Amino acid sequence: MGGRTDELEDRSLRPLTGEFWAAVNRDELVRPVCNDCGQSFFVPQFACPHCQSTNWDYQPSSGRGRVYSHTTVHRPPTPAFTAPYVMADVDVEEGWHLLAWIVDCEPDQVAIDMPVTVKFVTGPDGHRLPAFAPVEASL
Amino acid sequence: MSGAHPLHRVAVVGVAATEMARQLDATSAEVSLRAALAALDDAGLGVADVDGVAARWPGPGGTVFQPGSADWADVFGQPLRWVCDTYPQGVPGALDAAAAVAAGLCETALVFGGQAGIMGGSAVADYTRPDNEFIACWGSLTAAQFALVTQVYRHRHAPDPEQLAAIAAAIRNAGSANPAAVMAGRGPYTAADVLASPMVAEPFRLLDLCLATEGAAAMVITTAERARDLAQPPVAILGGGSEWHRQQYVNPPRYDEVWGLGADAARRAFGLAGLGPHDVDVFELYDINTYEVIRQFEMLGLCAEGEGADYLAEAGIGVDGRHPLNTDGGLLSYSHIGWGGPTLKIVEAVRQLRGTAGPGQVANAETALATGAGAGAQYHNVMLLGRT
Repeated sequence: MGGRTDELEDRSLRPLTGEFWAAVNRDELVRPVCNDCGQSFFVPQFACPHCQSTNWDYQPSSGRGRVYSHTTVHRPPTPAFTAPYVMADVDVEEGWHLLAWIVDCEPDQVAIDMPVTVKFVTGPDGHRLPAFAPVEASL
Repeated sequence: MSGAHPLHRVAVVGVAATEMARQLDATSAEVSLRAALAALDDAGLGVADVDGVAARWPGPGGTVFQPGSADWADVFGQPLRWVCDTYPQGVPGALDAAAAVAAGLCETALVFGGQAGIMGGSAVADYTRPDNEFIACWGSLTAAQFALVTQVYRHRHAPDPEQLAAIAAAIRNAGSANPAAVMAGRGPYTAADVLASPMVAEPFRLLDLCLATEGAAAMVITTAERARDLAQPPVAILGGGSEWHRQQYVNPPRYDEVWGLGADAARRAFGLAGLGPHDVDVFELYDINTYEVIRQFEMLGLCAEGEGADYLAEAGIGVDGRHPLNTDGGLLSYSHIGWGGPTLKIVEAVRQLRGTAGPGQVANAETALATGAGAGAQYHNVMLLGRT
């Protein structure tokens, strides 16, 4: 079981993604932006999936987006997680998307197309994570 | 069989599946070997006839540097002419082996694998909680990845939950009647039983989801010429194809990208076979969950997007239905043995075409479709097999 990415210690030292996690540690959301074609992408890759350029940098994200899809997990894969929790694929307004929890609302209130904004939470392993909350609840 | 296309110059001549159980007192290597030897025996061949291997090397022993199919040469005590570390097995493994045999890289290829001694009493198999730093931190599991796709489908098409539950119940009842199934004798199940089972990841309930069990499966592929003299009537590979949208369980799967996954592979497979989806007598579909069954009927073009549940309720999926499917109980009830699981689809398809499938036998089955993977995994593959 050792060596799984959810059990590693210092995420900010990871190749390729360390800068993303370092930002999350500061409660900041960033995403890769290609310096050649200008497009955002996620997950981080060594080359931009839109134009294959390796010239890209992490840039701040507004953290605003909409729920593309969501599911409520009732049976977690490990006892570390407390069910129920909502996993969602969130379309962020700069044109990228990521998987994250929806927090600060009941699971049955989460809906496709619901506007959300990033909210940093602490995961079961003690690490900060970028989750999303309904826009109303976060105001 | 025209003989013109290379895939039509080979045949599946042996298949086997070991005992299947929640836990087996054996290693992955041991059950894999059992399946391999049984498939050779089924074909009327021996280890000495094998010169191609598509498998994996689970250890113990062998190389640390690059474990793989070449390690099996040591166990078989003879050199090989072709190896392929195929992932997964099932259709991609069969197509790779068929292509190798057709190209003359080897004459007789053994495709095999499975898992045992890995469940260890934990709640879920490790492979059902895929590890990626943007997936695992959320407590994701493969069922949740498939659920993300399915939720958009439900939002747009609002399928009838009773009709979907009836599909799960029918497949599970086929498994109940299959003495080799892990869930043999359990049930019978009704749609109400499925709808009353505990929710795992919405909309999937426990009885919507496949097993994670132990055992191994194998198949032997050789030239059509060699196949004529062997123990079983050869089964032809009429066509096949694969689609890899992207690597699984890194980025979340998106409905708009993956719901139709497999359509291109299916078009190529049917084109090669000179057949259409209505010509299929028995469907051995990768039933990782109930929605994947209706998705594949929509993907095949047998009904429109959003109409799969209605369509199958009307057509019938039992042995006497218009579209008999997952006649062994499928991954839901027969067994799902991890990366070797896809081979079970081909094993059952071959038995159907030989007429030896047992309680799930479809009368006069001449054409079978076997599939692998699915929307949530972001790749899909199909293979058409035919009686010769």
